[in-house]
Amino acid sequence: MSQYVIRRLLAMPGFMVLISIVAFAVIQAQPGDFGSQYFSNPRVSYETALQMRAQLGLDQPAWKQYLIWVKGIVTRGDFGYSFAYKRPVADLIWERLAWTVVVSGASLLFSWVVAIPIGIYAAVRKYSFLDYALTFLGFIGLSIPNFFLALVLMYLLLQAGATSVGGLFSPEMVGAPWSWAKVVDLAKHLWVPVVAIGTSGTASLLRLMRANLLDVLQMPYVMTARSKGLAERVVIWKHAVRNAINPLVSLLGMQLPELLSGTIVTAIVLNLPTMGPFFYDALINQDQYLVMTFLMMSALLMLLGNLLADILLVWVDPTIRYD
Amino acid sequence: MARAARRLGWAALAVGVLLVLGGPAGAQTAADPKVVDPILFEAPGVPGGTLTLSVLSSPRSFNYYGVIDNVTYEIMGQVLSPLVEENPVTFELEPGLASSWEVSEDGRTVTFHLRPVRWSDGEPFTADDVVFTMEHVVLNPYAEGNERARYTIGGELVRWEKVDDQTVRAILPQPYGAFFRVLAHALILPEHRLAHLTEGANPNLEPGSFNRAWTTDTPLDQIVGTGPFRLSRYDPDQRVVLTRNPYFDWKVDPWGNPLPYVDELVYLIVQNPQVQLAQFQAGAIDVLTLNAADFPGLKSQEVAGAPFRVFAGNPVTPTPSPPHWAFNWDVDDPELRALFRDQRFRAAMEHLLDRERIIDQVYNTLAILPGTPVLPSNRAFYNPEVAEIRRPYDPARAQAILDELGLLDVDGDGIRELPSGRDLEFTLTASVTDQAMSDIAALLREELLEAGIRVHLQLLAGNLVGDRAVAGEFQSILHAFGNQPDPQLRKAIWQPGQPLYYWHGSTMDRTTQEPVFEAMVDWERRVWELFELGQTAMDPAERKAYYDEWQAIYARELPVIFIAKGMNLRAVQNSVGNYFQTEDGVLAGTPYTAYRK
Repeated sequence: MSQYVIRRLLAMPGFMVLISIVAFAVIQAQPGDFGSQYFSNPRVSYETALQMRAQLGLDQPAWKQYLIWVKGIVTRGDFGYSFAYKRPVADLIWERLAWTVVVSGASLLFSWVVAIPIGIYAAVRKYSFLDYALTFLGFIGLSIPNFFLALVLMYLLLQAGATSVGGLFSPEMVGAPWSWAKVVDLAKHLWVPVVAIGTSGTASLLRLMRANLLDVLQMPYVMTARSKGLAERVVIWKHAVRNAINPLVSLLGMQLPELLSGTIVTAIVLNLPTMGPFFYDALINQDQYLVMTFLMMSALLMLLGNLLADILLVWVDPTIRYD
Repeated sequence: MARAARRLGWAALAVGVLLVLGGPAGAQTAADPKVVDPILFEAPGVPGGTLTLSVLSSPRSFNYYGVIDNVTYEIMGQVLSPLVEENPVTFELEPGLASSWEVSEDGRTVTFHLRPVRWSDGEPFTADDVVFTMEHVVLNPYAEGNERARYTIGGELVRWEKVDDQTVRAILPQPYGAFFRVLAHALILPEHRLAHLTEGANPNLEPGSFNRAWTTDTPLDQIVGTGPFRLSRYDPDQRVVLTRNPYFDWKVDPWGNPLPYVDELVYLIVQNPQVQLAQFQAGAIDVLTLNAADFPGLKSQEVAGAPFRVFAGNPVTPTPSPPHWAFNWDVDDPELRALFRDQRFRAAMEHLLDRERIIDQVYNTLAILPGTPVLPSNRAFYNPEVAEIRRPYDPARAQAILDELGLLDVDGDGIRELPSGRDLEFTLTASVTDQAMSDIAALLREELLEAGIRVHLQLLAGNLVGDRAVAGEFQSILHAFGNQPDPQLRKAIWQPGQPLYYWHGSTMDRTTQEPVFEAMVDWERRVWELFELGQTAMDPAERKAYYDEWQAIYARELPVIFIAKGMNLRAVQNSVGNYFQTEDGVLAGTPYTAYRK
């Protein structure tokens, strides 16, 4: 097992290099670059525009820009400067990391906590009225885009006379020191993105959980367990669910990068101070090192998430071995 | 009426000055403060409270000259001040940090007398700060937001000299008509806080280091200014908080009271205009700039008794310039090239442009007919003659012109043919990010098809439209620029032979950046000349005459066809005072004159 993990970890840098080359190539394939906006701005003289592009290194060939960036990371741990903000990219991302993880983490937690029990219930009581109702709700959740749900929630709140629309805090609470009132204010705001973002995740998890459990419940060993007189609770939780949850564990690993990037449009709609809108802005502006660093972080989380999922699988299912 | 009101204001001002001299009311203000124009006031304000505004993105930096970012300009405009100020309603020039100035006989030396002002950390503001800002920042080619081009006259730079602590002198290579106008955009920075971070002033630094000063992670107490507010808190992507500058004492209201009235100015960062609107309706934002689509809904809420007012103000802000429609004179296709260069063809296109319908349908009636491109409200430069030259919507006349040009529908398929027998068709590039632009493009396409011309729409992201324009990669295009009230400041666009005279790019040599006179037609040479004359004339009437002629030529020859200019739309909570509409229909309101009722 440990050998396997070491092998996987050793392969990661190679993957990262490959991903970074592809990502950089795609960024370069876009028309124009960060410097080209200077040329169409009447405030900026032509000389200044040329000067600025040279200063940012954009007059160099793409491969050279890439190598300079990689060299900075390898030798100094420097992920480059943001063209727009004139600050190290790592600092800018760090500034926004906390809220991003809070919002995405809460939505992830929400979708799991809601989906798994409902999925189990729906499978155990299959074809009951509640099963149909919950599955129907699940389909609706799956088919409504997150951002649209966010808009609808916001509209309804506004109609109901609420003052907490968008953002994570009321304006007067943003800078206040932490207090009980501030936590309450956060909760008042946070539930909207959590529900909006979490709903579609909930819906797909719910359906997966239900389908898997239904499969497992047909298995002979479940019948055996029942026939040897085990309590239904033990049959479901110890024998059936434990086997049915396997594919969902790998899904959890895949969802790890979503902590960073999964919520761009919803975050823009709800005005959240998270990474999504920030990343989107960087993409539009072609702030290339910011985009690259962000993509690399996502990629790393994806690789780690997969590894973590594989390890978790061994823990959940003793029949899986990697040696 | 407005004039009378202003006279009244001046009378009130005189009374105010008497009060200042006679009583303790002036205890907190400087010896000789600037009295702010009464046109900015509805009533004397009450001190205290918070004003909350909003911006659509985080400031990229707090360095006014280090980035090109409107949010940075907006916020730092409250923190820093220029030598000469532009009145936010009338656009007239007024004293700022310089209380007065003299121009020498030959028009080449300007001597500024500085007010006794303190920076927000208590240090005195002196001539050294002015010289530092001008030499090492404004004229610094490595500063991203430098304004070097504005201070280059006939290839030479304006020089700055300190005379004594309170006096500074500018030496111009030639007389320069727009000099005071460009100064209004040159906010003065503190030498004692920035010299060690600026290449030029600190030879140990590499070029471009200045851009990394005063970024958004700089401790805010290091960022000092002479403006009414100072930065006190920044929560990334959430809000910027400014508080009253304790050393700000050089501006008073017409009644002699110190400004600003509010203690705190908050900019909420709201990236989505719909959320901005929702937050305004929830009362979290005090003043909001609107677009034409949201105006009717909010107006009907106001009428139904909502606690806010909604204003449609006369367009006075020159940015963005009225959208224009341009044809590429240097397009590859020789037949289209000949056509686009023909003034009669462009006149036919103007006859096909239904401005009234665009104002109605695209702008919800909240727009006016454009200037070319000087706005009618710009009294210093507008030439009323252009309204008479402007061709009305007249499809029959347009069809007749196209017939005269020999563009007939020979094969009877409803589309006219070029002399070679090909269909008359071209692309129209427009921004898809800007709803008004893509709507106008769709209307034009419809209109032209009826006249027998097939237009292919090419809708692109806004920034790409600008790139395509400058690169000359288009056939016809809808575009707008950030404009300025003084044409001199935008000669980079409107003077032939300049980098942004993009519809006829061959008037400039791309490698030498020099104008190519052989490529220009007669009236283009004249326009080029007029801008040169306007630049060096110091007499406002003489300058106006040159720019009048330029506007008339543009209206007649149609290098580009200006479409319409949207009104300035704004919504204000009832609890906020001094954000209002003047009797001229212009929107007034600034953070330092606003107060809480």
